[in-house]
Amino acid sequence: MMKKAGRLLANLLLVAFSCVWLAPIYIIFVNSFKNRAELYANILSLPSAFTGEYYAQAMQKMNFAAAFKNSFLVTVFSVVIIVVLSAMTAWMLVRSHTALSRFLYRFLIVTMLIPFQTVMMPLMQEMNGITKATGIQMKDSLGGLVFMYIGFGAGMGVFLFHGFIKSAVPVSLEEAATIDGCNTWQVFWKVVFPLLKPTAITVAILDVIWIWNDYLLPSLTLTSNAHKTIPVMASLFFGTYTIQWNMAMAALMLTVIPVVVFYFAAQKYIIKGVAAGAVKG
Amino acid sequence: MKKQFRIFALTLAVVVLAASFAGCGSSASSAASASTPAASSSAQGGKITIFQQKSEIYDQLVALAADYEKETGVQVEVWPIAGDDYYQNLKTYMSSESGPTVFSLNSKSEINEMSGYLADLSGLPVMSKIQDTLKGATNEGTVIGVPYTAEGFGIVYNESLVKPADIDTTDKLVSFIGKSGDVTSFQLSQEDYFLIGHILNFPFAVQKDPVAFCQQVYKGEVKLADVSAFQDLAKIFDAIRQKEQSPVEVSYDDNCGNFATGKTASIHQGNWCYSLFKDYNVTFDMGITGVPVDGNTAVAVGVPSYWCVNGDASAEEQQLGKDFINWLYTSETGTHYLMDEFGFLPVVNGMKSTTLDPISQSIADSIASGNILPWTFNEEWPANIISNYLAPVAQEFFTTNMTQQEFLDKLNEAFVTAANE
Amino acid sequence: MKIKKKWFALFTVPLISVFFAVVILPFISGVLYSFVKWDGLPKNPKQFVGFENYLKVFTDSRFLASLLRTSLFTIISMLIINVLALAFALFVTSRLRARNLSRAMLFMPYLIGGLLLGYIWQFILGDGMKAIGVLTGREDLFFYWLSDSRFAFIGMIVVTTWQMAGYIMIIYIAGLQTISDDVLEAARIDGAGFWNMLFRVKLPLLMPSITISLFLTLSNCFKIYDVNLSLTGGGPANATEMVTMNIFAEIFSKSNYGYGQAKAIVFFVIVAVITMLQVKLTSNKEVEA
Repeated sequence: MMKKAGRLLANLLLVAFSCVWLAPIYIIFVNSFKNRAELYANILSLPSAFTGEYYAQAMQKMNFAAAFKNSFLVTVFSVVIIVVLSAMTAWMLVRSHTALSRFLYRFLIVTMLIPFQTVMMPLMQEMNGITKATGIQMKDSLGGLVFMYIGFGAGMGVFLFHGFIKSAVPVSLEEAATIDGCNTWQVFWKVVFPLLKPTAITVAILDVIWIWNDYLLPSLTLTSNAHKTIPVMASLFFGTYTIQWNMAMAALMLTVIPVVVFYFAAQKYIIKGVAAGAVKG
Repeated sequence: MKKQFRIFALTLAVVVLAASFAGCGSSASSAASASTPAASSSAQGGKITIFQQKSEIYDQLVALAADYEKETGVQVEVWPIAGDDYYQNLKTYMSSESGPTVFSLNSKSEINEMSGYLADLSGLPVMSKIQDTLKGATNEGTVIGVPYTAEGFGIVYNESLVKPADIDTTDKLVSFIGKSGDVTSFQLSQEDYFLIGHILNFPFAVQKDPVAFCQQVYKGEVKLADVSAFQDLAKIFDAIRQKEQSPVEVSYDDNCGNFATGKTASIHQGNWCYSLFKDYNVTFDMGITGVPVDGNTAVAVGVPSYWCVNGDASAEEQQLGKDFINWLYTSETGTHYLMDEFGFLPVVNGMKSTTLDPISQSIADSIASGNILPWTFNEEWPANIISNYLAPVAQEFFTTNMTQQEFLDKLNEAFVTAANE
Repeated sequence: MKIKKKWFALFTVPLISVFFAVVILPFISGVLYSFVKWDGLPKNPKQFVGFENYLKVFTDSRFLASLLRTSLFTIISMLIINVLALAFALFVTSRLRARNLSRAMLFMPYLIGGLLLGYIWQFILGDGMKAIGVLTGREDLFFYWLSDSRFAFIGMIVVTTWQMAGYIMIIYIAGLQTISDDVLEAARIDGAGFWNMLFRVKLPLLMPSITISLFLTLSNCFKIYDVNLSLTGGGPANATEMVTMNIFAEIFSKSNYGYGQAKAIVFFVIVAVITMLQVKLTSNKEVEA
């Protein structure tokens, strides 16, 4: 009886805390329906009307359909490639106990410390150079952007996979598969990668959020309006001294909803016991 | 399940790289032939891109672009941007040869820095028609920019709460501050330009020769603390600090909102803020007057930005850009947009706007009568001194017990340091 | 297990080459540029100054102050974020009914990026705090936080924690889920209570997650910029100016590209040494399966 009451209390506290935790999100939501005078009067109040007019205006000005398509393509392609290539690279770096592997691993993660702001100008100039030299459109193109995200996502992807492979993927399994006649490629895809699912989903979630919300890199490389992603278009509502709050918040809600949907869908796939099952078997 | 997932992932990965580059292949062909992306000519008349800082006119610009295409067949793409990021984005675009055709620059220092990328605009027909007081920007003698408009700032006041005659000297202003009880008398706001950037222009601009004065300050020949206009400003700041809410706590939005709802009698602002007032139900008359250092009553007027053309773009693109700017200032549609849609004060001789809001009208009248002060801050101060040095000093003043003397000394130090960097 | 060279190449070359092109080459450019005086525009002149920029870094009091400040901010934030994230992860993987909803809600802050976040928190920590002060009468604690240098600093920690705790939480969740039930069962049979379970069983097995989480919080906090810009703008009076903001201002506001790069390199070296030490320390405690 006491235990049940204690549990109820814990549940309630958790929910209450979560609500306080989300207060800022409440503010964003509520103010996407107010006009400037209303917002000035009281930022916390519920709006006088839940009008969709600012959402409609925001969507129209942001050219939302095109921006959504661009964001979607860039995010999906970048994340899939990052997950696949990072897993492959990380596994190889863990298993081959050479000095080169250790060096490459440390090298990859150290560069995660470089703030983007310090490499953005040379990077843009480099992309320009590649475009001129090879004819492959690296600047103002979604493909070029994906290419850059792969480069920037490499460090974290390898870092996360490396840690989990080292501790949760037993070499014994791989050796067993090799004895059974698999070559390295098959060992990776048949034995190792399935075990990496939780990590792969984790990397995917983190990368999707980063890339979907990323503003600076796309704003610098995507110049044609037709290529711009959602965050870049949303910056429209931020003037030099003042912000069109209602549309900015509507734009932010529009930006966040797809990611939330993705997150809810993806977290179902972090299945417990996959590793445990493998060890037992 | 595992096998399916693996095949899916693999195929996707392979297809992706091929597709993403192939998909952009259509633009690759034009990339090889031109250094800027907008040089590809469409079937009709070509294309230009506009990238400028005033986010307030973005919507109208987009409408203008559509009208321009109808009239001339030239496509105009307007790039959106968050106001604060404008210049660093422009710089990055230019450095990677991705610059826009037409863009805006704000100050002498920006023009100096971008000088290698500016096209010569002296040949434009509109240049000869620009009012003398607002001549086009020059860089080493060559005209490279067309002024947007004229803007003015000073004390914007609510006529029913205060009259200009009540605050036309520093002493009167100082005693006015804090007097009105429930109503705030005079309010600044926390953003760099509105905390100190604009208002500090006044003591410089009232000097007999502001340009020479600035040079003397930079060389250390003159100390701000010894100059009466600056002492006046420090008195005003101190009065605000003692008797009003700290401006560090007031945002631009609240500042304008307070004024529009009658909670504040006067604010330090410019005619650009009128568009914000429209969102509230303003029931009173308003006007603008100068900050009364040394008994001054004139507002400060200057050109906020200039239209420039990308000198790095192809010759045809540059010409299209120049044509656009010329059209903007001379055609009927163009001038309609400038004056009625953007709300700009006319800069071309003979143009008269009939739709000016009360503050802009007041500024226009001041320009006509010649009772104006220059924008020394924009023309003579070292680059970016406001956000790098002056704002921190002002913030410190309002959040500590700094004396007026220390305040002026620190400002002085800021100018000397920044000028000699 | 012996790996043939061709497999090694096949598996690692694609990613490493993209990484090299996108991250390493520009970084090397940056290093080269740190030896010149330049404003960043190709058409404007570069003036070779050798190590002058680097010498300047060590006498730049504003930069050194921001370095110290960022370090302090990072250490405090790292601790708070990791403790909170672990606590959240434990709650959320327990048998409490509210866990699914809570997991989603705790994670949400991380989904909101960018500019708007800072402005919302500006309101909460500014006007919001002031209102609470008036309501509760505790005006010594609740006032316009952002105009006080110490409280603005605390504000930065609050917002960063708010944003990152949920994100680090899912790393700990993934880690907790790799701990096999057998081990937990065995410990329970041996009579381990909650705290023993936590410190003797779970934490050691969580070491890889801890390495990762510490590293991620360390690197994200050192590099902090967006929140810094939109929440405090570095104020009041540069009291909360963190390193990336200082470098960015140097490059774009002051148009000192070369000097800004020198600062960035110095900063990078310092942070790299610290984090490599951290990774080595915690990695040694990891147990390979």
